[in-house]
Amino acid sequence: MTTPHERRPTPSDAELMLATAAGNMGAFEQLVFRYQAAAWNAAYRFLGDAAEAEDIAQQAFLNILQAAERYEPSASFRTYLYRVVTRLCIDRSRKKQPVYTDDLSARATPGSSPADAAERGERDDAVRAALARLPDRQRMAVVLRYYEGLSGPEIAAAMGASVKAIERLLARARSGLEQDLADFLGK
Amino acid sequence: MRCEQVRQKLDAFAANELAAGVREEVKNHLAACDACRQALARQRELAALLRGMPAPRVPEDFAARLMSAARERLSTRGQPATAPASPWRWWTSVPVPMRLAGAAVLAISLSLGALMGRDVARGAAAAPSASAQADPTAVYNLGFLADAPSGSLAEAYLTLASAPAEEGR
Repeated sequence: MTTPHERRPTPSDAELMLATAAGNMGAFEQLVFRYQAAAWNAAYRFLGDAAEAEDIAQQAFLNILQAAERYEPSASFRTYLYRVVTRLCIDRSRKKQPVYTDDLSARATPGSSPADAAERGERDDAVRAALARLPDRQRMAVVLRYYEGLSGPEIAAAMGASVKAIERLLARARSGLEQDLADFLGK
Repeated sequence: MRCEQVRQKLDAFAANELAAGVREEVKNHLAACDACRQALARQRELAALLRGMPAPRVPEDFAARLMSAARERLSTRGQPATAPASPWRWWTSVPVPMRLAGAAVLAISLSLGALMGRDVARGAAAAPSASAQADPTAVYNLGFLADAPSGSLAEAYLTLASAPAEEGR
């Protein structure tokens, strides 16, 4: 199975969006399969809650479906999706501060000792708590950069800011994270 | 390039996203600045720590639930391209002749309302209200207090009851 970044998928995202706008739900379903992980993961990393992540990711796709006719093929679908997810996440966060309630990932790595697993759990909890303390836009910039692997210009497009503004945002976020995670850095 | 500018570009530098000229400037600064080299090392360490977090797993039936919700929405609202999302979208989806007719009806209604309101206001201005004209002494049968001695409580009450009528004139 290939990801969208390994080679250009066929049909392209733009073609699928045009077909979606014409009422082709099969085309929309293909987009959902291609990008469900991107939308869900970004929302989960930002909000820290699986139910909230599902709600946001679903709403993002439904918004895109509803506005399919206004999609411009010149804009990357991936960036467009992150823009919708970003807006929904920040709106949700303003109404409700993120609470990191669950960890869907498997903490116990096969072959690791209980002490290693405990140490990893402590470190992961500290990272989640440090992320939760960041202001909304800094946290989203970190999620898009370090977890979703977006470039500076892509983050700028997704967050509706200039590349320089994103550089400053990330620098401030790094500074806060370095302070909060000092115990886990420099080891 | 100053240290502050270099620190802001460390993410882009580490990801090899800077334009050649800017990258060269940052490299030259790093070669000469120990503090910024340490900042770059911390940036790399932090990136590794963040990326070391286990990846969450998307629920297996997420796509199925999403498609079910999408089909349900379409069945209740019609095609995606025509589904109005807001009052403004609804308004723009109405044919232009109907929009013009609606706007004309609204304008006529507002004009009639304004004219009728003006007539009512004029009538009200021409005829002072009954309450403003009425003498409270007569309205409340307080005539028996008219002979109250000066400085008595009854005289004070009569003065107080008459005050609004005096002010209204």
